[in-house]
Amino acid sequence: MGVTEPPPAGDAAAVRGLTKRYGDQVAVDNVTFSLRPGTVTGLLGPNGAGKTTTLRVLLGLAEPTAGEALVHGRRYADLDEPWRRVGAVLESGDFHPGRSGRDHLRVLALAAGLAPGRVEEVLALVGLAAAGARRVRGYSLGMRQRLGLAAALLGDPGLLVLDEPANGLDPAGVRWLRSLLRGFAARGGAVLVSSHVLAEVAQSVDRVVVIDGGRVVADTPVAALGGRSLEDVYLELTASARS
Amino acid sequence: MAKLTSTRTTPGLAVALVAVVVLAVALHGYGLAEASLRASSEQLTFLMGWGAVIGNLFAGLAGALSFTAEIRYGTIRPTLMATPRRGRVVAAKALAAAGAGLAFGLLGTAAAVGAGRLALGARGVDAAVGAGQYAQFLAGGALAGALWAVVGLGIGAVVRAQAPTVVAMTAWVLFVEAILVDSAPGLGRLAPGALGQALAGLRPDSLAAPALGGLLLGAYAAASLAAGALATRRRDFA
Repeated sequence: MGVTEPPPAGDAAAVRGLTKRYGDQVAVDNVTFSLRPGTVTGLLGPNGAGKTTTLRVLLGLAEPTAGEALVHGRRYADLDEPWRRVGAVLESGDFHPGRSGRDHLRVLALAAGLAPGRVEEVLALVGLAAAGARRVRGYSLGMRQRLGLAAALLGDPGLLVLDEPANGLDPAGVRWLRSLLRGFAARGGAVLVSSHVLAEVAQSVDRVVVIDGGRVVADTPVAALGGRSLEDVYLELTASARS
Repeated sequence: MAKLTSTRTTPGLAVALVAVVVLAVALHGYGLAEASLRASSEQLTFLMGWGAVIGNLFAGLAGALSFTAEIRYGTIRPTLMATPRRGRVVAAKALAAAGAGLAFGLLGTAAAVGAGRLALGARGVDAAVGAGQYAQFLAGGALAGALWAVVGLGIGAVVRAQAPTVVAMTAWVLFVEAILVDSAPGLGRLAPGALGQALAGLRPDSLAAPALGGLLLGAYAAASLAAGALATRRRDFA
């Protein structure tokens, strides 16, 4: 599952001045941050802060109102073979309940132009080899998260974008996820993890970007928090941004 | 195509199609007066024609579902992440839908021919439909199914919501168009359902000629597909 090519120079992804408006509602307001190879970045914020909207623009699913979101220097829609560049797990799950886990991955591998053999590899990697033939409707939430990760890893990408990936995982699953992400970053990959649960994030990220009300209120290495807990810093920031 | 074969929806629709066609043909086979079942065009139109009407509808629904199901279950997001050029996604779906629609159209008309002949036999009426008419019925029904599936895909891509799409298309074929054909035949014969029936060789005296029907239905399919592609390219998938 190593990164097949040397990580490209510069940022794995860059969001610059990103604004997304839905009618009068400003979901994301002038957000700027970047993701570096070899680091796990946490995108933190309360529910409705604009995390998911930011990820959707980054992944080419929504058009920005202003600003840009680039992956390896290009808009997602302009990437060749995007599934080999970026692997994503969105919070919404996005599985057809009547399709088996294995068929879900087969359809994606076909659409992304990937070798069908990868399907069994990633199923084994996330511990779903035995459940691959079952329909997704019978999967637990944790199994769906694992299937989502399997899909994200199909193309052996250099960037992982995960929306609330620990939802539904049991403690052993959270630990497994953490080591997977650390290993991914250690091999030069970049990871963006969005979450509103701080405990799971604090132990696995190198950097945090905190957004609240659509704006970035902090962008800092975890090491620079100077011994203060992420929770204290987060609550202080999101509270002061609102007052 | 893998998307159409990896869930139970497609075989489920096919079974439902055959069941509805057989039921409609059987009911009309028993309900219609013998006098209106003698001529070959009557047998084809009033009895077996249901295979084309319902085959078209199911083909259209299959096309629509190929888009709305992806919206409903969110799989449109990974689909677009794998293929960010959205025009290609819609084009690929149109091809797959046309293939499925062809099969549905053929299945509907074939089931109607089988059930229709059985019903005629049970009533003691001679089957008067000629081989050429059968051939046109089956081939035209299949082609109409393919075009209807593309029409449905375009509608599904514009409307997106699954239930309203299915309800609207079903109501259109079974009620609105029937009323239109009765009350304003000049307009009704140009409606997509009537064009599909024309293509299958039904009501040759009141509907458009088969070739014209195919051409106009093709125009509907192209327009619907263009609208669907435009809507898909322009709008967010949030």
